[in-house]
Amino acid sequence: MAYQLYRNTTLGNSLQESLDELIQTQQITPQLALQVLLQFDKAINTALANRVRNRVNFKGSLNTYRFCDNVWTFVLNDVEFREVTDLVKVDKVKIVACDGKRASYTCVMILLFDQLLDTPHL
Amino acid sequence: MASSANSNPVPKLYRSVIEDVINEVRELFLDEGVDEQVLMELKTLWENKLMQSKAVEGFHTEEQAALQAAAQQQAQQSQQVTQQTQSQQVLLPQQQQVTNWQSTRPNVTSAPQQQVIVQDPKILQHMSATGMSAAATAATLALPTGVSPYQQLITSQGNVSQNVYLKTADGQILQVVRAANGAQYIIQPQQQMVLQQQVLPQMQPGGVQAPVIQQVRPITQVLTPLQGGLPQQTGVIIQPQQIVLTGNKVQQNTQVMQMAGQAGQMQQVQQVQQVQQAQGGAAPGAPQQQQAQQMTQPQPPMMLQVDGAGDTSSDEDEEEEEEEYDEDEDEDKDKDGGEDGQVEEEPLNSEDDVSDEEDQELFDTENVVVCQYDKIHRSKNKWKFHLKDGIMNLNGRDYVFSKAVGDAEW
Repeated sequence: MAYQLYRNTTLGNSLQESLDELIQTQQITPQLALQVLLQFDKAINTALANRVRNRVNFKGSLNTYRFCDNVWTFVLNDVEFREVTDLVKVDKVKIVACDGKRASYTCVMILLFDQLLDTPHL
Repeated sequence: MASSANSNPVPKLYRSVIEDVINEVRELFLDEGVDEQVLMELKTLWENKLMQSKAVEGFHTEEQAALQAAAQQQAQQSQQVTQQTQSQQVLLPQQQQVTNWQSTRPNVTSAPQQQVIVQDPKILQHMSATGMSAAATAATLALPTGVSPYQQLITSQGNVSQNVYLKTADGQILQVVRAANGAQYIIQPQQQMVLQQQVLPQMQPGGVQAPVIQQVRPITQVLTPLQGGLPQQTGVIIQPQQIVLTGNKVQQNTQVMQMAGQAGQMQQVQQVQQVQQAQGGAAPGAPQQQQAQQMTQPQPPMMLQVDGAGDTSSDEDEEEEEEEYDEDEDEDKDKDGGEDGQVEEEPLNSEDDVSDEEDQELFDTENVVVCQYDKIHRSKNKWKFHLKDGIMNLNGRDYVFSKAVGDAEW
């Protein structure tokens, strides 16, 4: 089971919203929407692993850190993200990171619950 | 825009993901017996939302962007809901965001709405810039024809509270609520709502007018039946002249407005309100508000104050007040004491939560990085991050990385 981590991204959210609209108009069932999202998880995980090849550096100051259920959550302040091509500065950024070694079951479940309960992992 | 060899990898990545997903689920759709058309619609919706979010640069070619601009102009001209069967021209905004209807209504809806808004406020700005109105919202909500949405943006200081109210052809107002999962639901109020809304504008400038009080008088007779449902209030006798209608605060009035629904019982409600205000009791429940609202309907604008924080028991009917000032004084004091107590409670409770982040959020978007970690290292207060496979949303834009290395001091 691939991480559902990426559902709360622009890409993921727009997919969820689109699916919701179709559910509203009863063009698809919620079950089908869930299947689509699961498929999205697989696709995005694969795409990121295989199709992206760039490196980013960043530095800033760490405001908070949390490690719970194998998920790291950081809040950094005054951060500079540096890529070869450009530089992006932000006052505040939240980083949510799941275990990269393997898709740990716990992490996935946490994120699932987050979606249900609107709790703050993401 | 010319795309160089070093172009942003994000659009391509997103496109490929979209293609993959759509192709993979095609089979699922067919298994469920869902038409291919719906699949295409999903794709279109998805792409449109991505475009609207402006998080992705160069998502479409210039050509398509021009088409989009043309389509938007068409959308502005026509007030009809366009069906989403057409591909590019359906760029009529599939608006993610809920638009504001400028009104005196407070944001009665629950917190999730606001949260959603905060995440994509740039869309609001986008909307205002392009002026997409009727067709956009209607298209998004897939409303039946004949509904002409009416939107304005509320720009309040930081808080983006949003309600979407759609006015149907026959004048009925539908409230669109956006739930936490992003779905939009239309709340159809009862018809009485319409009346009340019309009443509302009249309410704001003044307050209760003299005729209102007269209606109240018979209410005392109704007091007895209420005792069953209202403990602690049995002993209170309120004479009509003592009834004080609290200040006409728009927000609370509108709350009352929106809660309205059921016929009858309005007299009881008003009585209840008076009693409760006298005791500075807890906020009345919905039915009372409804009933209070009922009260106002047949009359010229009158708004019964349902208590809430910060109420002053200023009297809406000044004429009456002047005459009965002495008698009212005691009641006023009781009310003030009770309400102040309530006011104090709320800030106390709200301080329990540590929510610094929300206050500091000056930016429209919360900058988020979603990724996986290879290694997190700490030495004293020096942290090192080794991350991979991430999607970042910074300053409203999307970025991706296969590897990220960072340093921070705590």
